[in-house]
Amino acid sequence: MGLTPLPQSVAGPGAGSTRKREEFLVLRSTRLMVVAGAFSLLGSWANKAHATGVAAGTSIDNTAQVTYQVGSVNATATSNTSSVMVAEILDVVVTLQTPSVPVLAGATQRAMLFRVTNTGNGAETFQLEMTSVLGGDDFDPTAAAPSIYFDTDASGDLSPGDAPYTAGGNDPVLNADAFITVLVANDIPAGVIDGNRGFSRLTATSRTGTGAPGTAFAGKGSGNTDAVVGTTGGDGEATGEYLVAGIAVNAVKSATVADQFGGTRPVPGARINYTIVVSTTGTGTASASVFNDGIPANTTYVPGTLRLNNAALSDAADADAGDFSTTPSASVRVQLGNLTQASGSQTIQFAVTIN
Amino acid sequence: MFKGLRMIGASAVFAFAFAAQAVAQANCIDLKTAAEVEKEVVNDKGEKSKVLAPAATVIPGTEVVMTVTASNTCKQPSDKVVISNPVPEHMTFVPGSAIGAGSDISYSVDGKVFAAIDKLSVTEGGATRPARAEDVKHIRWEFKNSLQPGASAFGRFRAVLN
Repeated sequence: MGLTPLPQSVAGPGAGSTRKREEFLVLRSTRLMVVAGAFSLLGSWANKAHATGVAAGTSIDNTAQVTYQVGSVNATATSNTSSVMVAEILDVVVTLQTPSVPVLAGATQRAMLFRVTNTGNGAETFQLEMTSVLGGDDFDPTAAAPSIYFDTDASGDLSPGDAPYTAGGNDPVLNADAFITVLVANDIPAGVIDGNRGFSRLTATSRTGTGAPGTAFAGKGSGNTDAVVGTTGGDGEATGEYLVAGIAVNAVKSATVADQFGGTRPVPGARINYTIVVSTTGTGTASASVFNDGIPANTTYVPGTLRLNNAALSDAADADAGDFSTTPSASVRVQLGNLTQASGSQTIQFAVTIN
Repeated sequence: MFKGLRMIGASAVFAFAFAAQAVAQANCIDLKTAAEVEKEVVNDKGEKSKVLAPAATVIPGTEVVMTVTASNTCKQPSDKVVISNPVPEHMTFVPGSAIGAGSDISYSVDGKVFAAIDKLSVTEGGATRPARAEDVKHIRWEFKNSLQPGASAFGRFRAVLN
C-alpha cells in the first residue's frame, strides 16, 4: 500500500517557450512523475501494548478477613465489601500517517491519511472536523467536498471504496484502544510553485465531553458510570502538509557556423554545429525524458555527428541513447532518462549542412 | 389407702458453672473496610491539608486508600488478632504504603507464604525473580497486643487502579 501520485504529462516550461522550429529545439519530457521519499503508512505507534486501563464500568471490590482468639476459642470474621466503580476516561489521539504529500499545482482530490485512536477505557463516539485555513504555511489547500473520508477499503489512499464522513451522521464509535483510519481531501490552488507547503488539520472530539483533565460528566460514561476527561482533554488533532514538487527543464541552444572556405558565412555547403544544454531545476524527477529536435528546413543532417556529453551516438536506432530518424520528418532524438536537479546539465551536439 | 410411693430424691441442685469454652462468643470482632481517595482541601486561611473521602468512581491511575478496622464488641479481650486483605483485582499495591500501629505487616504473592516483600520471590516461565509491587496479592497485619473490649485496631494500604 503506498501513496503514489499518478503519472501526469506536463510539458516543462522550456517547451512552452519554443519559437521557430528550425532555430530552436523542441524539448519534451514525455512523463513528469513526481517521486518523493518512501512513506511509512503505519507510523511508529504500536497501539497493542498501550494500556488504557481497566474497562469503564468494572466494579473493584475489596473484602478483608480477620482471625482472632477469645480465651481458647478461635474465630474469624469477614468484613463488608467496599466497591469502587471504574469511570470512563475520555481520551483520543490523532496521528498523521502520511509525511509530506507531494502535489502539483492545480491538482484535485489529494489526500492525507490520519489515524484516530480511542486511548480511553470505554467505548466512545467521536466527531471529526478538518480545516485547511491555517497559518505557518505558504498556501491554503482548498477543502474538497466531501473533505473527510473513512479509508473503508484500507488502501491508504483515496479510492472509490472509501465512505465519506458526515458529522452527526456516521461519527465513528471506537472501543478502548481501537482506531479508525481517516482521509482528508483537498484541492491544490493553481498559482503555487515548487517548494510551497500547504497544511491541513484533522481534529477528533469526544462526543461525551471535553474540557480540562479531570472534568467529570456524571452518569455519562459507558457502562453507566461517570465520564472523566483524561489528559488529552477529550480531543486530539494532527496536521499534515502538501508539498508542491515541480521541476523545470530548460534547454539553451547555440550554434556556430563553419563554411567550407575556413570562414563563418552561412552559405550553401556551410556547416552549422548545434549545441544544446539541457538543465533541470526544482524538486522531483522528469522521468524518461527525451530530447527531440527537428533538422531545420533547407539543411541536411551530417551523419555521425550526434553526441551526448561528448560521447558519440550512432545514428541508427539501437541500444545507445540517440538516433537520427527521417520519419515523420528528419530529426535527432536522444533519450536523457530520469532527470533531476542533481543530474546536472546534459549537452547534446549535432551538425547539419546548409543545402 | 393407696400409699403412693413417693420418691423424694434429695436432689442436689447443682449449679453448673458453664466454662467459657466451646460454643462461646465467636462474634467479638466487627470488621469494616472502606475505600477512599485522598483529596487536598484548602481552608479559609489558605492552608492545605489532605482528607480522605469515599471513593465511588475512579479512573485508572487513581490511588485508592483501603482501610480495615477491627473493633472488639465483647467484654473479653481478643488475642492474636490478624487482619488479612487481598489486593483487589485490577489494582497494584503501592510499596511501603501499608501501615497499622502495633502490628507486624507481611505480604504474600501466593496467599500461602507471608513475609517481607524483599524476601518473596515469583516463579515465571521457569525462572525465579524477586517479587515486585505488582506481584503482591495479600497483605497481613499481625497485632502484637490483645485488642481490649471496645477498642479498635486498623490497617491501611494504598493501591493504584490499573
